[in-house]
Amino acid sequence: MAEFSTSIVNKGDVSVINLSGYLDAHTAPTLENNFTDLIDQNKFKIVVNFNELAYISSAGLGVFMAYIENIRNNNGDIKLTNMNEKVFNIFDLLGFPLLYEIFKTEEEAVIKYNESSGVGSK
Amino acid sequence: MVGFFEQRKISPLSLIMNIGILSAFIFFLIFFYSSIISLLFENVNDLSNQGMFSTIFTFVYFLLIIGFATYVLVALKQLFFLGQSSSKHIYFNTMIVFFLLASLSVRFINTDELSFISTTFFIVATLLMLINSLRISWIAFLTKKEKITLLFLSVVITVLFIVNANNTGNDNSIFLSFSKSFNVFVSLILIYGAIYFSVLFFTTLFHIPTAEAFDRKAQEVSSLQYFSKLITQVLDFDELTETVTDITTKVSNADASWIIWKENDDFVPIANKNIGFVDSDLINKFILQKVSWDGLSETTFLKLTEFDELAKVSKLYKALAVSPLKAHGKVKGLLVAVRKNEERFNQEDKNAIATFSDYASVAIENSGLLEESIEKERLEKELDVAREIQKKILPEKNPVYDGLEISSVFIPAFEVGGDFYDFFEISKSKLGFVIADVSGKGISAAFIMAEVKGIFESLSKIIESPKEILIKANDILLHTLDKKTFVSAVYGVIDVERGQMKISRAGHCPVLLLRNDIAQSVKPSGIGLGISEVDHFKVHLEEATIDLEENDTIVLYTDGITEAKNENLEDFGEKYFTEILLENRNNIVDEISMKVIQEVTMFSHNHSQYDDITLVIFKWKPRQSEEEGRDRQKISAEGGSAYG
Repeated sequence: MAEFSTSIVNKGDVSVINLSGYLDAHTAPTLENNFTDLIDQNKFKIVVNFNELAYISSAGLGVFMAYIENIRNNNGDIKLTNMNEKVFNIFDLLGFPLLYEIFKTEEEAVIKYNESSGVGSK
Repeated sequence: MVGFFEQRKISPLSLIMNIGILSAFIFFLIFFYSSIISLLFENVNDLSNQGMFSTIFTFVYFLLIIGFATYVLVALKQLFFLGQSSSKHIYFNTMIVFFLLASLSVRFINTDELSFISTTFFIVATLLMLINSLRISWIAFLTKKEKITLLFLSVVITVLFIVNANNTGNDNSIFLSFSKSFNVFVSLILIYGAIYFSVLFFTTLFHIPTAEAFDRKAQEVSSLQYFSKLITQVLDFDELTETVTDITTKVSNADASWIIWKENDDFVPIANKNIGFVDSDLINKFILQKVSWDGLSETTFLKLTEFDELAKVSKLYKALAVSPLKAHGKVKGLLVAVRKNEERFNQEDKNAIATFSDYASVAIENSGLLEESIEKERLEKELDVAREIQKKILPEKNPVYDGLEISSVFIPAFEVGGDFYDFFEISKSKLGFVIADVSGKGISAAFIMAEVKGIFESLSKIIESPKEILIKANDILLHTLDKKTFVSAVYGVIDVERGQMKISRAGHCPVLLLRNDIAQSVKPSGIGLGISEVDHFKVHLEEATIDLEENDTIVLYTDGITEAKNENLEDFGEKYFTEILLENRNNIVDEISMKVIQEVTMFSHNHSQYDDITLVIFKWKPRQSEEEGRDRQKISAEGGSAYG
């Protein structure tokens, strides 16, 4: 199908993965590599920004499931942001909002991390 | 001796060299014979000893001459049969017969009147020698160098033979006294040798001017053999490229060869022949400075002397030829050949390299295509298996229940999308059903589908509540599926006696209920199977109960319908889907599903079907007579199979 690309931006100790294009079985390995790299660097506070994402297939959803356990065991999380309605509906149908924190904006997700770590340090 | 020569492949040149050495030896032997004899006879005054000495010495002398003559005859025979068909035996044998006749006739015919007989035999034998000497076909296959060597050898040997023949013929005192026949026989062999080698001299002389051209032709013929070798090696890319560079060095007389190959935007030397990676990599830079990758259309020569960093290359290569390897008009690689000596590549070399690189391009392209088609075939086989599994898993026909119309349509995608539905006839009044979608595609999805079918089939027999069944199913799948894989499903039970339906949804598309011109989305909460652990799953799972009214239509589907795409990559969408359902809600279920499929097909006719499409429709018709119901079911089964 169409192109898919990712870019990673560091915001403090939070890593933001920006997705764009079509995330399906063929393009999923790109995102998988992003997650593996971040985990290798011990970066467990991850925000995934869906702003530019046009479509996600079931195989694309599977990527998040593959890493969440490991990341949460390391006191990290994957927070999802900026989903368009279509993408959100796919997540919603599968019950992902019950498993992942989904925010309207990237900033909200980053703030959430900072708040919780702030609380933690106190 | 004959046996020894026949055992191995004869090299005409070494044979001729042997003859040359032996004839030189015999020449000196004959030359010094008389002087040695006279020297010995002068010193030895004892006459009684002189006889014995002379006899022994002459005997040894004759023995050597016989040995020489025999060897020459055998060697000439070898040369004669070299490159000749065996049918020429008759010529040679006839000649030998006349040799013998000429020799023996001398012995037995003593009168002068009859001496013409032996003379005739001698002349016929000589004529046969001439005829037999004319067919020297093996010269053609020698290289130019060998031909020049042969030219000199043949002159020397011819002279030696003439001298030897003259000496043995005239030295009548010893040979004639020993045996007249023997003398004639040896003379004949020596004459044959003289004739053969003089003919050989002239033949070689005439061959010299065309020798180089012939060499090249011979090379071309052998390159043709190499080309055919290429065809058999297309199965292995590495082996193929190795052969290509190997043959390139041969056809163009180059010292080294390699291919510049593009790997991830990087130009690397591959299949290096007689050159190291570092050297070829250095020279690559020079080549790519001089010629543009895509612009090179024909074989081009470059002077390596212009290369600044030539000193870094371990061997002093001087000349370079580079030829494009093209596939579909695009340059896939560059074939490089280099020479160490001053001699530059000429037009002939250019043609050879150009022709060869064309062949190599085709072979390399075929190799790629073959690999692709093997891979494609493998995938298609795999998908065939997946589709076969899917076909066997899905129910063959819809169950028959009083007051319930059932229609089911399943259209597989090329890549097998993992859709699955099934019915479970729990009791006469209770029908269980499931619709599910396994994440992922292909054979792995098909296997999970089989597993899911087994789970629901067994659970439906022991548990009635849809919610409980999904909880159990999640528990099982959580442990068997890998982390990335999940299954979305709707499980439900229709109680035809009570007119009630219970459903639970695990991450699947909602169930649509068409009632009184309105489509309701029934979407009880629930997470997909195999995603979250037992307690979490349980907490969020709901069960919906619907008390059925007459003409209630229940639609189960997979996202293959709502996510079907048109050429603009727009979705078919839930809204359009419900519109079509509502428009057709008063039709029988098979007509409704047929209409939906028609619309989906029309909508996405310019876009390949990416996911499986599954549609199951129930219609509640409680007041129908039993017979009428059965008729409709029959139509339904036929309609269903038409799409499946």
